[in-house]
Amino acid sequence: MSKANQTPENKFSVRKLLSHPVMSYLLAILAAFVASGIFIALMGYDPFKAFQTILVTSFRTPNGFIQTLLKWVPLTLLALAFTVPYATMKFNIGGEGQLLMGAIGATIAGILLKGLPPILMVPAVLLAGTLAGAIWGFIPGWLLYRYKINEILTTVLLNFVTFALVNYIATEVYPNPEVGHPTTIRIATEGWLPMLVDNPPLHSGLILMVMVAIGVYAFTNRSTRGYELVATGANPRAAGVFGINVPVMFMMGLVIGGALAGLAGGIEVAGIQHHLIEGMHSNFKILGIIIGLIAKGSSLAVPFVAFFIAVMEVGASAMQRTLNIPIEMVYIVEALILLFVLLVDVVRRK
Amino acid sequence: MDQILHEVAFFLKQMMLTMVPFILAAQGTMLAGRTGVFNVATEGIMLTTASVGFIIAFQSNSILLGMVAAMLVGGLFGLVMAYMTTSLKLNQFVIGLAFFFLGTGISTLIPKLIFGVSLVQPVIPTLQNLPIPLLSKIPFLGDIFFNQNILVYVSVLVSLLLYYFLYRTSFGLEMRSVGENPKMADSLGINVFRQRYVAIIIGCMLIGLAGVYLPMVYTGTFTEQITKGRGWLASALCFFGGWRPLPILYGSLFFAGIEVLAYRVQIGTSAIPYQFLIMLPYVATIVVMVLTFKRSTTPKFLGSNYDREKRTL
Repeated sequence: MSKANQTPENKFSVRKLLSHPVMSYLLAILAAFVASGIFIALMGYDPFKAFQTILVTSFRTPNGFIQTLLKWVPLTLLALAFTVPYATMKFNIGGEGQLLMGAIGATIAGILLKGLPPILMVPAVLLAGTLAGAIWGFIPGWLLYRYKINEILTTVLLNFVTFALVNYIATEVYPNPEVGHPTTIRIATEGWLPMLVDNPPLHSGLILMVMVAIGVYAFTNRSTRGYELVATGANPRAAGVFGINVPVMFMMGLVIGGALAGLAGGIEVAGIQHHLIEGMHSNFKILGIIIGLIAKGSSLAVPFVAFFIAVMEVGASAMQRTLNIPIEMVYIVEALILLFVLLVDVVRRK
Repeated sequence: MDQILHEVAFFLKQMMLTMVPFILAAQGTMLAGRTGVFNVATEGIMLTTASVGFIIAFQSNSILLGMVAAMLVGGLFGLVMAYMTTSLKLNQFVIGLAFFFLGTGISTLIPKLIFGVSLVQPVIPTLQNLPIPLLSKIPFLGDIFFNQNILVYVSVLVSLLLYYFLYRTSFGLEMRSVGENPKMADSLGINVFRQRYVAIIIGCMLIGLAGVYLPMVYTGTFTEQITKGRGWLASALCFFGGWRPLPILYGSLFFAGIEVLAYRVQIGTSAIPYQFLIMLPYVATIVVMVLTFKRSTTPKFLGSNYDREKRTL
């Protein structure tokens, strides 16, 4: 306190500048770019060219922009799959696995339900994906509810189970022998998502994602059940005293999270891949978690952060092609952005 | 009969070899956990140290230097994590996940920067067995237990030392009290922050050694995702070992047994699709956690930061 009194004007202005959330994000991004820029320069590359490629590629060509939108869809859903359970202070690290379960569910539905008209088939495929993801979220949720088993471990361990399951389905159950890589046969064309733009292809999952994101925001911020969810995270004991069934809230968060990631998997299959392919999750890694954490768990901020990360991811592929800088560099930048966002908060608190 | 005996001996020997990364990573995670810091970056730290340690060992032609580098990198991770959680009081899980992500990224970035994308894999010599004189001459058992690489002995020794340290010394008692009730510990004059720094840094160094073990023992190469979730399994191990060094040691043996079993069955038979054998360790872990949930004890303040100025914890 005494220090603040000595230089009131100085302290005040810095705090004011930092207090605006957008400002603190910009500062964190800038700091992350400077830190990683120094590293890029030390490695003998041109940092300015690198960052220019990372940030501009998405907006230079229609194809780049559509690639960005296509990445934006699953990234937003995966991040929401993290933030909904995070509202109860539970950590869903299993987004990858839940996405893959969604992809498995959608693929099986798309192969078995052959012959249905598209008006039924498309929702059925997406629903199968969502349900499969929800089941994969329910398992850790139930283990937490019934046995108090740490959800971080169960969700992440299920990821590894899913990786093997994908391989099994793609090589034993519905293998496509024409492809060298483990891949299933295609789902029926009736199950494909309708296109918004044909060339370059942009599927209608984009609209669905925006609707779901708005729905999640309305749920967590405007509904009673959502309020209970957030109240549980804020103070589980107080929530329990006020009659909220806290363990059920934990479980519900994880189930909704699983469903959202499963939907992302369903959209990937119905909109882009049209079959299950091993390693299809590798473009997303655990980016959903990072986006959710950068957004500080706010479902309102998630779509914006996810779009920014999608821009960076598309830019990073271009950077690897044109400048020979490994794509992993962008993960370092993203991790640094998260750390600096947290550090800016610390400075703000002081 | 000879055939069976031979198979059993081979199985046990493989088990001893396989348990090392589980022991080291789990003891490292446990140590930080006993002071109340839940390190969820174990997997990421193992990946980075496997990668960096491998490269150093390859460039310098020295396995030892690779191990030292891995432990230093692990310690560095620990220092930054300790600063951010203990001093800056940022959420341990959030920081842990950020470092998990960072570690995963670094582990593939560094080899690409140094070796480029080449088809020829750099290879290092794998760890040699170090037979213990006399003991290794015991028939049957000698070869299984006393003709192993050095880190097998080190990992068992570390477990015993940690047991002695945590339960038989006053410094260990102080360390445990920090995880059970930091406020009480603080009021008794124990330096909560120093205890946490020490535990996290030493813990991360052990995790670093666990990471670098992987490229040094099996193939002599570093591959992406070489840990295959062993870091996470190590965290699970802490839970059903009740965050105690000796049960973690036995648990590691069990984990290693499952891993070797899955591998042996995979080669021996095609009756079970091999994908289900790959799943086995992860499913078995979850099942064991369910079976032992009643007996499992965790440090009371695991996962929460200590703030002196706060009235409630």
